[in-house]
Amino acid sequence: MSNIRHHPKTETLAAFAAGRLDEARAVVIATHAAICTECAQAIEEFETVGGAFLEDAEPVALRDDALENVLRRADPGVNVVTPQKPAGDLPETRLPLSAYLEGSIDDVAWRAVAPGLSQSVLKAEGYRPGVLRLLKIAPGVRMPRHSHKGEELTVILRGAYKDEIGDFAVGDLADLDAGDTHTPEAIGDEPCICLIAAAAPLRFKTVLGRIVQPFIGL
Amino acid sequence: MDEQLTRVAQTGDKRAFAEIYAYFAPRVKGFLMRGGTIEAEAEDLAQDVMVKVLRKAELFDPTKASAATWIFTIARNARIDAVRRAARPPLDGEDPALAPEEAPRADVLCELKERDQRIREALENLPLEQYDVMRLHFYHDEPHSAIADRLGLPLGTVKSRLRLAFEKFRKELGDHL
Ligand SMILES: [Zn+2]
Repeated sequence: MSNIRHHPKTETLAAFAAGRLDEARAVVIATHAAICTECAQAIEEFETVGGAFLEDAEPVALRDDALENVLRRADPGVNVVTPQKPAGDLPETRLPLSAYLEGSIDDVAWRAVAPGLSQSVLKAEGYRPGVLRLLKIAPGVRMPRHSHKGEELTVILRGAYKDEIGDFAVGDLADLDAGDTHTPEAIGDEPCICLIAAAAPLRFKTVLGRIVQPFIGL
Repeated sequence: MDEQLTRVAQTGDKRAFAEIYAYFAPRVKGFLMRGGTIEAEAEDLAQDVMVKVLRKAELFDPTKASAATWIFTIARNARIDAVRRAARPPLDGEDPALAPEEAPRADVLCELKERDQRIREALENLPLEQYDVMRLHFYHDEPHSAIADRLGLPLGTVKSRLRLAFEKFRKELGDHL
């Protein structure tokens, strides 16, 4: 399982474990970690750190009736296990991303934004501002050299692309800082589909800007 | 506490739960308050967390995490849920596929205990200034700029200390593996 070559930065994994990432970025990291055992382990280690800090936290007494209250609320005894989504094309349906899709990646309603480039914005804005979207790059299509206004996380779901950093295939993750520039080009025979999270909501002025800004850094 | 939690999972043992409650509920509340949550809210959240601990006890897998780590992830998610009420990616032991199937093997438990011990040692070996920012990073869900204000340090210093802390911590763990 470890043919993954590109991983999130350590601080991004730590922020995920501490619950500090916005929802969009959390989905991208969870998607990578569902595929990458190495990063899943790093997250567990940081969660253990959280457990250690929890144990070290100064105890503050709860109200006198709190235990009784807790027992009563928990009592219905119904086990709240969320039902599994029907498994269509494994393993993609097992990805955390599936909760944000209606159906599978094959059912995504793409919107063309430029020749060979289409995207679909997903709803993941409930928890702290952040933008989550899927991007599809046709084989051989090269995006203009662009930089990023803010931090951006990208995980590859299908196909592959290459840029100045290296080759990115399924499961690989690019953890870019604001100001990093690159020129991704889809390689191979199938379209490259990536899941991208931007840290902050992007404000666009024009329709063209809305399309191009995330890529060109206008 | 791992044993008590396992007992709660297997038999719904209320006395074992009361022990877990006595130890963890005040710590969860204290943890949230250290993170800047006001007391009334921390009280409600701590109760929510303990309700979840009881309801989800059978998803606790002592071969994957200690009780403290598991309860931390529940508290962390409760704090996130308090901010929003939508779905969050399941990487938090709530996935039914992650539920343990058979009784945990002693050697696996032993390995986990050793790992927890190593993680604690790696934490304690951090320089104090790095330890402090790392703790704030876990207590708070506010931006690093707010942590910088709290410590009276420039933002860049907080960020670089955090990065150093994570790297040293990971390296130390790696050295022991
Ligand atoms: Zn990884």
